[in-house]
Amino acid sequence: MDWKGYTVIYVVLFVFATAQAVVEFVGIVDSAYWLAFGIIMVLSVVKAVGVAAYYQHLRWEPRAVTYLVLGGTVAALALTAAAAYSIV
Amino acid sequence: MSEAHDHGLPPKSSVSRWFLTTNHKDIGVLYLVTALFFLVFGGLLALLFRLELITPGADLLGSLGYNQAVSTHGLLMVFWFISPFAFGFANYVVPLQIGADDLAFPRLNALSYWLYLFSGVLMGVSFFQGSTFAGGWTMYAPLNTPAYIPGEGLGATSVVLALIMFTAAVTLGSVNFLTTMYRMRAEGLRMRDIPIFSLSINLTVWMMLFAFAALLAALMILTSDHILGTTYFQFANDGSTLATDADNPGASLLWAHLFWFFGHPEVYIVFFPALGVMAECFQTFTGRRLVGRKWFIISMVLVAIQSFAVWMHHMFLTGINLPIKTIFMATTIGISLPFDLMVFSLIYTMAKGRVRFTTPFLFSLGALILFIVGGITGVFLGAIVLDYQFRGTYWVVAHFHYVMVSGATALFGGLYYWYPKITGKMYDETLGKIHFATYFVGFNLLYFPMFVAWETPRRVFEYSQDLQIWHSMATVGGFILGASMLIMFYNLFVSLWRGEDVGDNPWAYATTAEWAVSSPPPLENFPGVPTYADGSLSFMDDEEVARRTSGPGGSGVAADGGTAADGGTASVTTAATATPATPAHEAAGEEHASHASFWPFLVSLGGFVAFLGLSGVRTGSVVYVSMAAVGGLVTVGSLFGMTREPFHAPEMPIAERWPFASVEKMKLGMWTFLASDIVLFGAFIGSYAFVRVAYGWSEWHHDLIPAEHVTMPGLINTYLLLTSSFLVVLAMVAAERESKKGTTAALAGTFALGVGFLINKGIEWNHLFHISTEMFPNGWNLSTNIASSTFYLTTGLHGAHVTIGLLICAYMTYRAWTGAYQGDDRAIEYFGLYWHFVDIVWLFLFPLFYIL
Repeated sequence: MDWKGYTVIYVVLFVFATAQAVVEFVGIVDSAYWLAFGIIMVLSVVKAVGVAAYYQHLRWEPRAVTYLVLGGTVAALALTAAAAYSIV
Repeated sequence: MSEAHDHGLPPKSSVSRWFLTTNHKDIGVLYLVTALFFLVFGGLLALLFRLELITPGADLLGSLGYNQAVSTHGLLMVFWFISPFAFGFANYVVPLQIGADDLAFPRLNALSYWLYLFSGVLMGVSFFQGSTFAGGWTMYAPLNTPAYIPGEGLGATSVVLALIMFTAAVTLGSVNFLTTMYRMRAEGLRMRDIPIFSLSINLTVWMMLFAFAALLAALMILTSDHILGTTYFQFANDGSTLATDADNPGASLLWAHLFWFFGHPEVYIVFFPALGVMAECFQTFTGRRLVGRKWFIISMVLVAIQSFAVWMHHMFLTGINLPIKTIFMATTIGISLPFDLMVFSLIYTMAKGRVRFTTPFLFSLGALILFIVGGITGVFLGAIVLDYQFRGTYWVVAHFHYVMVSGATALFGGLYYWYPKITGKMYDETLGKIHFATYFVGFNLLYFPMFVAWETPRRVFEYSQDLQIWHSMATVGGFILGASMLIMFYNLFVSLWRGEDVGDNPWAYATTAEWAVSSPPPLENFPGVPTYADGSLSFMDDEEVARRTSGPGGSGVAADGGTAADGGTASVTTAATATPATPAHEAAGEEHASHASFWPFLVSLGGFVAFLGLSGVRTGSVVYVSMAAVGGLVTVGSLFGMTREPFHAPEMPIAERWPFASVEKMKLGMWTFLASDIVLFGAFIGSYAFVRVAYGWSEWHHDLIPAEHVTMPGLINTYLLLTSSFLVVLAMVAAERESKKGTTAALAGTFALGVGFLINKGIEWNHLFHISTEMFPNGWNLSTNIASSTFYLTTGLHGAHVTIGLLICAYMTYRAWTGAYQGDDRAIEYFGLYWHFVDIVWLFLFPLFYIL
C-alpha cells in the first residue's frame, strides 16, 4: 500500500474516533445508553480491524496469522463473557 | 570437541560456558539440573509437613510454618519443577526431532532460562524476608492481599513477583518454540508428521501462550494491590467494613476466574509433555507405531482447545450461578473423552507390540496406571453434586497428585530415556528398575491412603484421630518416595563416569531424528541441512543447498514434494553419516551461527535485583528502593547491550514452514508475542468488565467516578496515538524509497506524539489525583475505589507499553538518522506491529474508560 492508501485509512480512523466522542457530546449516552454503547463499541471494532488489516498488513499476510490473532481475541472474550455471565 | 569447533564457546568443563551458552542442548541441560534442584527443594518441604501430619496439630512447624511449607511446596512443584523439567527435554530434543540446528531465537532461549532460574532464587530469598508466602498455591485473593497477611508480608510479595518473572520466562519460551516449530522443520516434515513428543510440546506452548498471559494479568493486579495500593481484591476501602462486600462485590471471584482460566490449562501444560514422553517410550519399547496415531493427535488438539472451557469446575462452591456450573460440568466431563482415547491408544500399542521392560518403559507404564487412577477420581470432582462433598478435602489432594505426579513419573522415564543421548553414557539398568519399584511403592503408599482419609480437610494440619493411621502411612510413603529419588541421583551421577559408552542409538526401535546423530550430538546438530523429501531423513550438503536456493524460486521454502513417511521416522539414507565429522556448511566456510552471549544472564540478574527491591518499596526502605532502581537500570542497560551485540542466528535455507511460509521468523515471533499480549490486555479489560458487572454496570459511573473525569483527554490521546501509528507506516514508505530524511522525520514524529500522549496522561492523572469534591474530598487516586483502581492500572499498563515502545522508537530514530533501514523497512514494520497493537488497545480503553 502506498502513502495515499495509508492516509485514507488515517482519515477514516480519525473521523470514527471523533464520532465516538460526538455520540457522548450530543447526549445519546445519557438518553439511550445501550444504543450508544452499541454504536461506540462497533466503531471501536471497525477501527481496530482497520488498523490490523492495513497498518499491520494482516490483509496481506497468510490467513494463519489472522487465526493466531483471533485465537488470543477469542480466549480473552471467552474469559470476559463467561466470567461476567457467571454472576448475572 | 575442540574450542575452535565450538565457535568461541568455552568447553563444557568450564564454568563460564554455562553462563554464556545460548545453544539449545546446553540450555536443556541447565533446565534439567535446575528443575531437579527445585524438585529437591519442594520435596524437602513436603517431607517436613508430612512429618507434621504424623499427628494432628502443628507441633513441629507451627501454624505459620506449616502454611508456608504447604504453599511453597505447591508453588515450587507446579511452577519451578514439573514444567521446567519437561522443557529441559523440550529444549534438548525438539530441535533435534524436527531437524533444526537450534531454536529460532537462541539468546531469547537463554534469557528464558535465566529468568526462570532467578525467579526461583527470588522465591528462595522470600524465606528470609520474615516469612514467605503462606496463602496456598492457588493464591486466592483477598486472602493474599497485604491486609490479611501476617507481618509485613514482604516475602509474600516477593513470591508474587517471582511468579511474574517466571511467567515472563514462559511467555518468551512459548514464542520461541512456536516460531521454531513453524519455521524450522526439516523439509518434508509436515506438522502432523513431527514426532509425538515434539507435537505434545507444540500444543503445550500454545496453551502456555494464552494461559500464562491470564496468569500474568492476575499476578500484575495482585502485585499492584500489594505495592501500589489498588483495591481490586479488597472488600471495602474505609477500613471499617471489611466484613461486607458492598463496595467491591466481585473481589474474591475475580481472582478465582483469572487464576483458574490459567490454572486448568496448566494441568494439561504440565501433563502433555509427559504424555509425549509416554508415547515415545511406548513406541520405542514395544517396537510398534502408536496405534491410532492420527486420533491420538486429534484428541490432544481437542484437549488443548477445550482446556480453556472448563475452568469454572474449580468454582462450584462459589456464588456463580447454576446454569454456568452446569455448562462447565458438561465441558469437564467432556474433556475426559479424548483422554480415554489416548489411554486406549497407549494400551493397544502395548498389546500389539513386544514389550521390553526397560526403566524408561516401566516409568511410562507406571505413569499411565497412575494417570488412570487420577483421571477417574477427577471425574468425581467434575460432577457438581459430588464436588459439593469432596471440595476442600484430601480427595482433591490425592486426585491431583495422582495426575500431576504421574506426569512427573513419565518425565523421570524421559530422563532415563534421553540420558544416553545427552551424556553419551548408559545408566545402570538394575538400579533404574530398583528406583522404579521403590518409587511406585512409595508413591502409592503416600497418595492412596489420602483417598481413604478423604474427609481430612485440605490445607489444615488438624484432622480426626480416626484418620491418623492413614496419615502415618502416607508419611512413610513420602519418605520412601523421597529415598527412591536418591537412587536415581546416585545412578545418573555415577554413570557419567562409569556408564558404558553408547553409540548414536542405544534403543533398538527408537526412530526419531535425535537418535540419528551422535551422543551427545555436535553443536550444530546435523552434518548438513536435514530433509525428509524422499520419505526418510537425509542431509543436503552445501552444493545441493546452493543449487536449490539460487535462482528463481529459490525461496528456501520447501516445495510440496516428499513428506515424512511415518511420524518423522529417521532412517538415515543417502550421504548422511550418523556421526558427522564436520558440518557441511562449516566446511564451506560459511558464517557460523553464534552460540554465546552474556547479556541474557545480566538482564535476568538485573530483573532479580529490581524485583527484590520492589518487594519492599512499600516500606520506604532505602535499601529496597535502591535495589529497585539499580536493578531496573541494569536490566534496561543489559537489554540495550543485547540489542547492540552482533549475534548471528541464521534461518534454515530450506525448511518446511506451513502455515507461515511467507512470514519470516522475527515477524512471526512478534505476532505470537502480540497474541499473548492480547490475552493479557483482554484479561485486564475482562477484569474491569467483571467487577463493573458485579457492582452494577450503570451505577458504576454514577457512584464511583467523579464528574471531573471527562472525555476530552482520552479523545486527544486517541488522536495522538492514531497519528503516531500513521507516521510509523509513513516511515516504512520512506524507508522503502530510501529517504533517510523522511524515515528519520516520521520516526521522530512518532516519538514526539508518544511523548505527548504520556504528558497528556500525566496532566490528566495529576488533575484527578488532586480534585476535591463532595464525593471525593481527598482526590481520586489508585486507592479511592474499585473504579479508580481499574482505570489507573489498566491505562497504566497501556502507558507502560507506550513507554517501552518509545524507548525502541528513540533507538530506531537514532539509527535511521545514521542511515539505517534504507531499502529495508522490515525492522520498522516489526516495531510497527507492536506500536499499532498498542494503538488498537487504546481504541478500546478510550470508550470503556472515558465514554461508557
